[in-house]
Parts: sequence; C-alpha cells; structure tokens
Amino acid sequence: MSQSLKPYLTAVRHTLNAALCLENFSSQIVERHNYPEIENKKTKEILLNPMIISRNEKERVLIEPSINSVRVSIKIKQSDEIEGILVDKFTRFLTKRAETFFILRRVPIEGYDISFLITNVHNEDMLKNKLVDFIIEFMEDVDKEISEMKLFLNARARFVAETYLSTFD
Amino acid sequence: MLLLQPENLLIEKTFTKALAVGYVPMTLDRIVTDFDFTAYHISTPQEKTGILLSVAIKCWNDLVAHGTTELLDTIYSKYSAFLQILSEDNAEPGYNYSLYIQLDKANLATEEEKFTLIKDLSLLKRNSFAAPFLEAFKKYTELAEEQPADPNNIYGEDSATRSDGKVIALNYRDRESIFIKPSNDRVTVIFSTIFSDETDRVFSKIFLQEFSDARKRSIQKAPQVINSHHEIPLEIQSLEKENNDNKSYITFVLFPRHLSTEEVQWNTITQIGTFRSYFHYHIKIVKCYLHQRMRFRVQSFTKVLNRARREVSEEEHKAERKTASGRRFEQRN
Amino acid sequence: MASINTPAVVMDNGTGMTKLGFAGNDAPSWVIPTAIATRATGTSGKSTVSSKPSFLSTSGATGAGNSITGTSSPSPSLSSIKRDMADLDFYIGDEALEAAKGPGYSLHYPVRHGQIDNWDQMERFWETSIFKYLKCEPEDHYFLLTEPPLNPPENRENTAEIMFESFNCAGLYIAVQAVLALAASWTSSKVVDRTLTGTVVDSGDGVTHVIPVAEGYVIASAIKNIPLAGRDITSFIQTMLRERGEPNSSLKTAEEIKQKFCYVCPDIVKEFAKYDNNPEMFAKYMVDTVSDRKITVDVGYEGFLAPEIFFNPEIASSDFLTPLPQIVDTVIQASPIDVRKNLYKNIVLSGGSTMFKDFGRRLQRDLKTIVNERVALSESLSGAKSSGVQVQVISHKRQKNAVWFGGSLLAQTSEFKSYCHTKQDYEEYGPNIVRNFSLFNVPS
Repeated sequence: MSQSLKPYLTAVRHTLNAALCLENFSSQIVERHNYPEIENKKTKEILLNPMIISRNEKERVLIEPSINSVRVSIKIKQSDEIEGILVDKFTRFLTKRAETFFILRRVPIEGYDISFLITNVHNEDMLKNKLVDFIIEFMEDVDKEISEMKLFLNARARFVAETYLSTFD
Repeated sequence: MLLLQPENLLIEKTFTKALAVGYVPMTLDRIVTDFDFTAYHISTPQEKTGILLSVAIKCWNDLVAHGTTELLDTIYSKYSAFLQILSEDNAEPGYNYSLYIQLDKANLATEEEKFTLIKDLSLLKRNSFAAPFLEAFKKYTELAEEQPADPNNIYGEDSATRSDGKVIALNYRDRESIFIKPSNDRVTVIFSTIFSDETDRVFSKIFLQEFSDARKRSIQKAPQVINSHHEIPLEIQSLEKENNDNKSYITFVLFPRHLSTEEVQWNTITQIGTFRSYFHYHIKIVKCYLHQRMRFRVQSFTKVLNRARREVSEEEHKAERKTASGRRFEQRN
Repeated sequence: MASINTPAVVMDNGTGMTKLGFAGNDAPSWVIPTAIATRATGTSGKSTVSSKPSFLSTSGATGAGNSITGTSSPSPSLSSIKRDMADLDFYIGDEALEAAKGPGYSLHYPVRHGQIDNWDQMERFWETSIFKYLKCEPEDHYFLLTEPPLNPPENRENTAEIMFESFNCAGLYIAVQAVLALAASWTSSKVVDRTLTGTVVDSGDGVTHVIPVAEGYVIASAIKNIPLAGRDITSFIQTMLRERGEPNSSLKTAEEIKQKFCYVCPDIVKEFAKYDNNPEMFAKYMVDTVSDRKITVDVGYEGFLAPEIFFNPEIASSDFLTPLPQIVDTVIQASPIDVRKNLYKNIVLSGGSTMFKDFGRRLQRDLKTIVNERVALSESLSGAKSSGVQVQVISHKRQKNAVWFGGSLLAQTSEFKSYCHTKQDYEEYGPNIVRNFSLFNVPS
C-alpha cells in the first residue's frame, strides 16, 4: 500500500462513519412519499454539506449526505488510455449487475466513475460499520484490479507476440 | 487454443470421412467459411461419389494477377487421375476456383497419400494466397543476385536497398489490404487493419507494441515488426494516399533467413497468412478473460456486501418497529 | 457493411449437444457435446480452487517477475507468462471428452437444463466454436442463437454482452427453440400454411418439453415438462439386457440398439403375440469389441417396449405416470381457447428421441381418441353438434436437428438481418435492447 493511500482511505472511512447517520424521513413536498432526499434535493434544510476527499487530481471521493440518504461517488485513477478503457469496462460491468449490489447507483454522478446511494433502509438492513468496510474495500480492490488487468494485458500481449513470432523459425 | 490453424477443419473432416474405408456416398450441399470473406461450397452436383469443392475469395482478382491459378494448378494437378480442376469460367458460378473429386476413381494406396491429399485440400485458402508471396520471393532472389546484400549490415539499416518500387497489393478485406514489396535484401509485408471498436483499438496498440519489442528482446530470428497507427509507411505511400479510416499499419520485414529454402518460404507464407486473424482473435480472447475476472470480482464484492447484512429473523424485524403509542406494524397480506 | 453477403452463423447450444453451422445449409456443420475440459488447478488441494481462481493469485507475482526477467533470457519469461495462460488451455466438444480421460483436465458442462449455467466456460466454448470450428471472424457475420422457453431476460443480456463486447459480432438474433422447431416443420409436405402456431413436442436427451406456440409467441403458462427422455429409454434398454443376461450390456450397446432397432407399435399386447408367433422377429446385434471379437446381442421386446415408456410411463418410472398424449392434451387445454384448434392441428416433433418409427402416428392416434371422447361428451351434454377438431402430428426428415434447421431456414431469408440487433444498436441502447426481438413475419 502506497504512502498516501492509507490516510486517504482513513479520511473516507471517518467521513462515511459520520455521514451514515440516517433516519427515516417522509417527503415534505408530496404526501405519503419518501424519497432519498439527496436525489431530489427539493428540501434544502435537510441537505448537509457535500464533501470531496481527494488523494490527487485523478482520484477523489464525493460524499453528499442528507437526512435519509448519502451518495458516495468515486473517481477511479486513470493514468492513461488503457486504464480509462478498463475502468469504463469494469464500472459498466458492475452497474449492469446493480441488482445484486443493493446500494449501487445505476448511473454515476457526472465527473465520477461509480456512485453508491445508501438510504436509511439500507442502513437499517445492514450493519453500518460493515457497510463502510465494503466501500473502503471496494476502493482498494478496484485500484488493484485495474492495475492487475493492465499487467495481465501486457503480459498476454507479450506472450501472444512472442508465440507468433517464434513460429517463423 | 493459442495459434490458429491454417487448414480448414470442416473440409478436413468432410474429406477424411469421404476417403475412409466403408464410406457411404451421400448428397452434400454445404457452405463453409474461412477468415477474410473466404467461402467454400462442398457439393455433389451429379452423382454422390463426385464431390465439388469450390472456393470464393474476396481478392481473387488481385491474386490471379500474381499467378494464383498457375500455382493451384501445379499443386492439384498431381492428383489429376481423379481430381478435375475447374478454373476461371469453368468454376462453379459464384465461386472462383473449383476442384471436382471423383471418389470412386481415387485409389490412394497408403494412409500417407490420403493424408497429403486431405491436407492439400484443406489448405486451399493458404495455397491461394501463396502465389503473390512466392512471386515476391522470386523477385527478391533476382534482385539479390544483381546486388547482393551487404553481409555486415544484417538489419539493412541505412543501406540503399534496391528495389524496382513495385508493390503487390491484395485488398483482402473491405478496407484492409496486404502489401508485399521485394527488395534485394528483404521482403517487406505490410498489413493495414481497422478496429471498429474503440476498446479493440486501444488494446491493439499494446499488442502491436509487444510485437515490435518481442524481436529486440528475445526472438532474434523472427522478422522485424514495425507498427504505425496513423502514418502510412513509406513503402506504400504511392498506393495509399490518405488514412481516413484510422487504420493501423503493421510491417513485417522478412530477412533472407525466412526465405532461404522452399520449406521455410512456405512456413513463412502460412504464418503471415494467419496474422490478421490471429491478432484479432487474441484481442477478443483478452476481453473474454477480462470478463472472467470481472465476474469473479462481482462475486467477491457481493460476498463482502452480504456480510454487512444484518441477520434478523422476520419476527424480530416486525417487533422492532412500533408506533409512538407502542402499536406494532402488521403486514397486510 | 461487408457482412451483408456472408452467411449467418447458427448456433444451438443444448444441454447435451451443440449444433454449429451456417444458415442455408441443410445440416449443422458440427454436432459436438456441449462440454469443455479445463486444466484442473494442480493437486494443491480443492479448497483453494473454490475460493480463488488461479489467475488472481498468480498474476500479480508473475507480472512483477516478467518485468525483471523480460530483458534477460527468453525462456524464463516465457514460462512464467505461461502460467497466466490457463485460460487458453482448454478443449471443447469431442476433444474435451478425449482430454478429460487423461490427467490434468476436468470436464464441465456449461449448459444445465437448457440454460447457461457457467458463463466463464460458455464464453470460452463460444470462442473456440467460432474461431476454430467455424473459422469465421465474428465481425463479418450475423449470429442466430437459441434459448429455451422461459429463459430469464438477464441471460439474454449476458449473452448479448459476450457476443457484442467480446466478439464484436455484426448482429445478433436470439430465438426460442420451440419457434425454430415449428419453422423447421415447414419442410414437411403435410404443412400447407406456414404458420408459427402449433404445439412443439421436443424430446432430447435429458428432458421432454411440450410447448404451445401461438403466432410466434410461446404460451409460457401452459408449458409442461416430462422427466422422461432419451437417457431414460437407453437405461431402460440397458436394464432389459442385463436382466436377460446378455453378454454385453454397456451403455453404448444400449444406445445403438435404441437408434437401430426401436420403433413404436400400435398395440403392445398384439406386438408381444407377434413376436411369440414369429421367432424370426427377434433381431441380433453385433457388438464390436476392442479385441476384434464379435459378440452377438439378442434384441427382443425392448425394440418396441423402450419407446413405449412415453405412452405407458408406468413400465419404466414409478413417480411419473402420465402418458405423453395426455400431457399434450392438458397443455393445449391450458392454452387460450381461440388458439386450441390450431394447436391440435399442428403438433410438431423435434429432437432425437422423437425419431422412432411411427412415433408421430401413435401420438396422433392416442391424442385423437382423447379429443374425440371429449367432443362426444360435450355433444351429448349440450345436444349441439360440434364442428370437430382436427388432430395432426407432423413428423419430418429434419426432426433430429429441428431447432438448428429452423434457425438455418430463418437466418437465410433476406429479412433476417433486419430483425437482428446490431453492434451499433447495442452501443446506442445498451444490453437491455435484446429483451425484445421482432418476430419473423410469416408469409401467409
């Protein structure tokens, strides 16, 4: 784990711990409705200040808390064209399977690669500390996965090229 | 499967069956394909023991200009006792070249002979594509005799290579071509290829880079590979005016060692012939592998997330929720 | 696009067998087992296999190793990468069965009960099907794939994801097997109007389905499955051989006897009597053994008894007792009333286990009896005269690979490509585009 990753993840963990303080909240605008308030943003007084935690210019997390829902958006490191493609492929693959992920938002917030929406219902069904663990683990694993994929791609390309060229003998 | 086979498995299967002992002749009428818009038609137009094998190749006209018909005639005429060659206007309509095999007349004594015949038939595509290469190789020999290559300059760097500037072009796919250029110390083969998909294009860059590097690193005996993504290589600038389609160019420089004997030449042709398919095939396989990894990741992520789920029985869950006055929620059924 | 003139690829991945070929051909080019043999992950213990596939544990280490050794000698770098190539080391089809006999490979069947169960394996199965067996560049071809009835739409999406994202195939159509089987019956001379309405009796190796189809749509609520199919017939024959104490009662022998000698008789009692009066009706089957010694196996009553389990299941099974004609009748009665007449009129057979001689005739006779009884009852109850119900079972030459053949027929029509979803469509609208395919227009 590189030097700056640990404090970065710790900061995200603490922020999430603080932000995930959710309660059931019925809509003040439409009777008998109950929205994730962070999504419709119509009641200003129950939205809290959004926060960006940034490791460097390429990696950051946006946490937008409100009274009954928190939106966590992650920008994954993409240092070149290949990583860009891999991140895009990976996040598309995940969001396609959003059904199994409960808290995964099908469309990421603009400027980010992947978004989670945690509502008070999720918070009731799931243990808060484990939920935070999941997000932290996700952030760690995604980076690892992307760089492993990239390594694999290079190794495979080399192998394929060498195999082909050695047939000329 | 790592390398693609140059022979066509289906043709192989059909004729292995047909030439086997105890084959019951039957009516055949099949279309079979191969890479690069090559189509075969296996049929029994008259009696059941006469099989007609026809081939259609997209760039047939380019190939014929470089002596493909003559080459195929030499290859297949050794079977003339039972194999009739139908080329040009005699070929089956819609196809470029036909072979009519009369099974009842085929008396191949040994398994070996049968095997060679089946091999020759299943390599019909490779054989068709071989002629222009052989022509270029011949031209190279001529040029090399006129002005032998400088033996101290094995890579041919900075030397004034001699060639008469003639480049053979084969438009083997819609907008993709093979160019072959003989010189006195080498034969240059250039592929132009297109990736319609953005992901493929990015992946192809990594692959091509490795193709270029592989020789420097470990496999010195291989041909030199040069790639360029946008610029048209010098050799073919007279033929390709502009690159509108985002083509990639891959140049193979074949050195004398790849052209020394007839056997080596055929091997070179076989390998070069599968290059484009091989390249595209592996890019697709890489994506399959990435899919596998991602499926595994999805699984492991779901596992972690499921660990977060509180294990509450239905009863408890209901009991927990009470109204202010202490009433419980009842589920309406 | 260049792909306009290339023949479409038709792939029918069944539980047991996969049929591969090109549209326009009269038979699939390849019929291979839907099996894949992958390199077993060492002998280091099964527990690690389930938790983590080898590629994840080794790739990081080898990746780092390569960058160091890469510049030095070629041999260590090549071999270290090779460990990462586990995903290239596999066989499919007959080669898989062959490879699995030796050590180091384990055999898997990626399709279970008609549905794709393991996508990793299926993706690799397709990969080799296309590039090795069919030898075609998927970018140049349209594809017609089949699916069982009641396939969840997510499976379609996953299929599309693989076909479009991995293979970049030019276009894709996913058709329901039963509908293709109906289309295949158009070759029969008995079919006068080419409709996509009818009842499909599809019996393969594992399970028998009875599927009503109305104008190209499967009536999902009325589908019935019968747990009796080819495998049960084979094992029935095997049991009979064993009980008689025949010198050879292997599965292969039973299978061959099934294919060569079995037929459906109109009446078992009479058939028994016929055999007893004419001893020459007992056939003999020669088994070739490895040691070139010929063994003769007698073939007796099983010739007509084995296929009889469809019509009198109690002779083979103790938990499933409804005869096939009864099931077909129930299925049609469960369908909407306005299509029932047409469903009775067009009962189509498909799959290898419907190939027995006179299978269709017997089914038609038994079903007619059931229907006529009901008609007579309702006539006597209501006093009104019924216009009658026509029962017709259609059997044809292409029954064995009916699904594939139907696909081949439809995919060679000029309109086929306009019904496909193309890669452009997929990229524009996303994977859920394949939830809907327009139905083939039936020339009426």
